[in-house]
Amino acid sequence: MGYEIAGRRCSMPHYLIMCRSLTYAQRAARVLERIGITAIVTKAPQGTGHEGCAYCVKVSEKRLAESLTALKNADLGPGKVFMLGPGGEILHEVRK
Amino acid sequence: MIYLDSAATSLQKPRSVERAMMSAMRSMASPGRGGHRPAMLAADMAFDCRAELAGFFHMENPERIIFTMNATHALNIAIHSCVRRGDRVIVSGFEHNAVVRPLHTVGAEVKIAASPMFEPQAAIEAFAKNLPGADIAVCCHVSNVFGYVLPLPEIAQLCRQHGVTLIVDASQSAGVLDINFPQLGAEYIAMPGHKGLLGPQGTGVLVCRDSALPLMQGGTGSNSAAIEMPDFLPDRLEAGTHNITGIAGLLAGVRYVRENGTKKLLRHERDLGQMLAKRLMQIPGMEVFRSEEPTYQTGVLSVRHRDITCEELAERLGANGVAIRAGLHCSPTAHRTADTFDTGTARFSFSPFNTMNEIQHAAALTAEIVNKE
Repeated sequence: MGYEIAGRRCSMPHYLIMCRSLTYAQRAARVLERIGITAIVTKAPQGTGHEGCAYCVKVSEKRLAESLTALKNADLGPGKVFMLGPGGEILHEVRK
Repeated sequence: MIYLDSAATSLQKPRSVERAMMSAMRSMASPGRGGHRPAMLAADMAFDCRAELAGFFHMENPERIIFTMNATHALNIAIHSCVRRGDRVIVSGFEHNAVVRPLHTVGAEVKIAASPMFEPQAAIEAFAKNLPGADIAVCCHVSNVFGYVLPLPEIAQLCRQHGVTLIVDASQSAGVLDINFPQLGAEYIAMPGHKGLLGPQGTGVLVCRDSALPLMQGGTGSNSAAIEMPDFLPDRLEAGTHNITGIAGLLAGVRYVRENGTKKLLRHERDLGQMLAKRLMQIPGMEVFRSEEPTYQTGVLSVRHRDITCEELAERLGANGVAIRAGLHCSPTAHRTADTFDTGTARFSFSPFNTMNEIQHAAALTAEIVNKE
């Protein structure tokens, strides 16, 4: 099973880390990629409570804790985190 | 055509610039305007360009690199953000109208820290004398008319000492001289993309220390439900669709400059300038504005002749395949400082792609034109 985000095939489960802007999401992805975490920048889906047109990075469940620590250390204080369902739908918010 | 007007726009670009622009035009849409592949390709490239420029200016945060239409646009954002009516603003004696006109429009009380050309110590003393009690300082790094390199690190240090906000116009130095933004402690540095950075026309950059006031309001692809502009950079200052094709070209240009190094590129341009200066100084009646100390001047050389107007010289050179610029170069302040306001100057300016042969040809042609007078 799996789903596509931004044209890329994903296996589950994954998390979305919300970012304040596209540029911050891109910075966050670079920070994570530098430490070997696959991070995909994607447009935030409906149900993430943003004020429209937000972006986020998607990481795998296994790397979530590590990702959040790395982003905090890089002064990119991560925003809300959402768990994605198998169809790519938002399951629930796991971190405010 | 021998193109010697790179202080206005560098015409010859690395091949990679053209390729990058063609590729962007074919494949990239707009960053922040969707999650589809063409939008994300554009977003990745724009971010790469911010990161490349941030690295070039020794910065860590790419979001503080703002894309503008040109240096004038960038300077307007900076000036309108921090200068208020009645503010006391200190400027050098070499400022462009891109600085002088916005300051006039805002209603600033402008004072020129006047000092002679090619005398950096005098410039430092002039700023030291005028900065106490000032609100803002605006200073070009290099004069667009004479290529005079102002002592920017020292002026920046004086601004820090006196708590004066500094705006730098790096129109002639970006891509030519090393600029360490954190070390300078300036609030803003404005520059074009189409000169020393070797990008296309229609590109410019504003480097911000913190934030600024948007000159325009509109869509940013972020916080769309809010009526206010976002409070974060770069979105706050980048309303509307980006010039993605231009930014792709700018990225290629900046990469070329970084790969070759500003020192190497500047040495080449200085060599060309020194050589042309020596040849033109041999022409009777020719006044050449050349620094005895080569490090005080970049690859920009102004001249004027006793018997032929600058416009006439430029026109005849142009008719014979050598492109230069004559007149006041949008910098009446610089011409008043150098006492060339009544005549203007004929300006030769170089790029990394000019050759010694071209300079020899331009010098010989200039001598021929002048001798016919």
